Amino acid sequence: MQPQLDISNLSKSFGGLQALKGIDLSFQKGELVGLIGPNGSGKTTLLNIIGGYYKASGGAVTLEGHKTDGLAPSTLARLGIGRSFQVTKVFKRLTVLENMLVGALADWRLSRSSARDKAHGVLEKLKLTRLADSPASSLSGGQAKLLEFGRIMMLDPKIVLLDEPFGGVHPELKRFMYEKIVEWNEAGATIILISHDMGSIFGLCRRVVTLSYGDIIADGDPETVRNDPAVLEAYLGDHHAA
Amino acid sequence: MTLVAIAEQAANGLIISTFYALIALGIALIFGVLKIVNFAHGEFYMLGGYSCYLAVTLLGLPPIFGVVFAVVILMAVGVLVEQTLIKPIHTGKVDRPDEYAIMITFALAIMLLNLANSVFGPWPQSPAPVSRGIVEFGELIIPGDRLSAAGIGILLIVGLLLILRYTWAGKAVRAVSQDRAAAETFGINISRVSMLSFGAGAALAGAAGALIGPVFNVVPAMGAVPAIKAYIVVVLGGLGSIPGAIVGALILGQVEVFATILIPDTNRALAYKDAYGLVVLILVLLVRPQGLFGKPERRA
Amino acid sequence: MTLFHKVLLGFVGLAAMLPLIGVPQYWLYTLTIGLYYAMLASSWSLLVGYVGRISFAQAAMSGLGAYVSVLTGMYLDLPVIPSLLLGVAAAGVLGLFIGWLTLRLHGAYLGLTTIAFGEILRITVTAEHQLTQGSRGLQVRPLIEGAGPATYYYIFLAAAVASVLLMLLLLRSRIGLFFQAIREDEDGTASLGVNVTLWKSLAFGCSTAFAGLAGGLYAHFVQLITPSMMSMQEMGYVLAMAVIGGFSNVVYAAFGGVLLQILLEALRELGEWRLAVFGIIAILMLRFAPNGVFGWLENLLKRKG
Repeated sequence: MQPQLDISNLSKSFGGLQALKGIDLSFQKGELVGLIGPNGSGKTTLLNIIGGYYKASGGAVTLEGHKTDGLAPSTLARLGIGRSFQVTKVFKRLTVLENMLVGALADWRLSRSSARDKAHGVLEKLKLTRLADSPASSLSGGQAKLLEFGRIMMLDPKIVLLDEPFGGVHPELKRFMYEKIVEWNEAGATIILISHDMGSIFGLCRRVVTLSYGDIIADGDPETVRNDPAVLEAYLGDHHAA
Repeated sequence: MTLVAIAEQAANGLIISTFYALIALGIALIFGVLKIVNFAHGEFYMLGGYSCYLAVTLLGLPPIFGVVFAVVILMAVGVLVEQTLIKPIHTGKVDRPDEYAIMITFALAIMLLNLANSVFGPWPQSPAPVSRGIVEFGELIIPGDRLSAAGIGILLIVGLLLILRYTWAGKAVRAVSQDRAAAETFGINISRVSMLSFGAGAALAGAAGALIGPVFNVVPAMGAVPAIKAYIVVVLGGLGSIPGAIVGALILGQVEVFATILIPDTNRALAYKDAYGLVVLILVLLVRPQGLFGKPERRA
Repeated sequence: MTLFHKVLLGFVGLAAMLPLIGVPQYWLYTLTIGLYYAMLASSWSLLVGYVGRISFAQAAMSGLGAYVSVLTGMYLDLPVIPSLLLGVAAAGVLGLFIGWLTLRLHGAYLGLTTIAFGEILRITVTAEHQLTQGSRGLQVRPLIEGAGPATYYYIFLAAAVASVLLMLLLLRSRIGLFFQAIREDEDGTASLGVNVTLWKSLAFGCSTAFAGLAGGLYAHFVQLITPSMMSMQEMGYVLAMAVIGGFSNVVYAAFGGVLLQILLEALRELGEWRLAVFGIIAILMLRFAPNGVFGWLENLLKRKG
């Protein structure tokens, strides 16, 4: 079967630094994949290339059989790639509801009233209804992460890239986010999740990919990856260096 | 064109470059440490001219003290501005720091310009120069006032470079320019370095104004053109880069004198003289925003 | 409609009555100039306040609109309205181009680039004196032959109100939401499928088109234009007007333009000091009341209401 998202021989360098050294990866529709690796291993770089924020130095990303090279982030978003950011990028001086509407209204076929209805529906699911008219600047860190989830949901993405969605989120909210991720995945979305939170990764994902120094050093089910000596080495090595 | 004429133009270019460098170094110093472009820099330069005029014409001090006076006054003005208007940016008291920094310095420029218009009137003043007469190098003739002003300018630039290189304060300034966070962990007092750099940057502009005042007259609007030249210079060299500011000034000085005489229609060439550098500025920012010497910025 | 909006509407209504209740011609003239600045300041606020893009070329764009309108009228024998529209189009298209060219530039880098474009425009208009009479100034035919101050006043009032209403219409649409999202976070906006490149360029073009309209009308009102209307000093006044009125809102910025022009005339005895004081007020506003006089007033009335 043709993979939904295929990455072949992808490389990226910043000046002299090789952030990605020609990696191959592919994702089938409906997968829930964890992407782990020590700091600077190339996780976010990979996400940035898939999302169109960086241009790859070599290799290709193929979405449903079409090369995405040269496409702008907004085009890729419209093609079904939704993403969150390591540092949340909510629109602070807009209200929560307005934050939700931006993505929906980018689709000109959708009327403003139906976008609004849809936004209220998603906000309710995320238990943010009460905050709909508050400015996003008044949200807590965890609520801002949830709002980012909501904004992505408004796009009905086929592939969701989540970059450290649990950073600074308290445990109760984290469990709520787990539920939402699983629901999302069960509704058919492919999810690629970056996190330093090993508990979350191994608890949620059915496949875990490990990057180290721009290379894939392990790719498999959580149990195998957890026991892979190379993965242990990458993290321990990182600790020794730190 | 004869060899002497070429040498004369080149010498003119060098003299102009000295003043461009003096003004540009202040902008570079401030940008390096505070990461803001001071849009009031031309008005600091103008205040330097008036400080010199006050000291020399009204107080009767010798011209060289006029320059010293301007440096001291502008240092104080710089420190005052930094403490009242710029510091809030770095202490998180301003909502949109980027926009604020640009608009507040632009508004400051307008305020100082009109203040000078009110206090001194729009008439040109001309304080006595450090030296008069002409200096001859073989067949090459250079007016003494320009040469002495440029000479003092070069001394100031060399002095600044030595201070940056060898003194503790200079090293602190360079450390903060390179890596603010690292400098802080090494115990460098960032807010003091910021104050010092803004003061020193303003003082350099003041010195330039004091040196040129006697040559080209002192008027409230005198800062606009040199400031724009200095922005071109720092962008060309790479915003925040000290060597970049010097090399940029050398390049712009030569480009201006030779571009003007190489274009056949003299009147037209002169009318567009101030536009050449602006075209350079736009091209550099579009093609290589980090300039000749700057490091490229990596977006997060 | 809040109390504050009613107060503002009251002002506009009052403004419409002024010629009827016998306000001296001199003041009508002043207010007409004030309405020119209202259009210019609000067009600047459209870009800076909503999209977060800084530009120091707004006065130059107004001048471009003025010179294109005047020169096409002179050399192509066009009637006033089409030549005005050509001025608007020229400013809009150049703005669109600059907006597109400077997509990757932010903050001070964008500020410097727009200064360069503005100055190049001003220098060109000055240098091409066979065409523009350079700094001696260019005689301009009137907007309407033989019209009096009251007629011009009403035309400018209508143009200013229409401009601001058009801007508000744009800002209330989904495009306005895209503008503000871009101001808050460009990458975040792109990640939601909004074509950031398109809207950033278009915002620039819209803003400069309004400036071009203001400049064109101004030229046919004062009937003598010089390149100094494109100077950085003129830009400074526009900035002070927008900042003092409140640059985060096109309506506040427009009122700031009128307010400052009235004060400028009312305080004539103070001479040049007026402008220095405006500079100080603009600095204090930026530092302590970034929403400007009218933003502050709105908050005050909201708390009372």
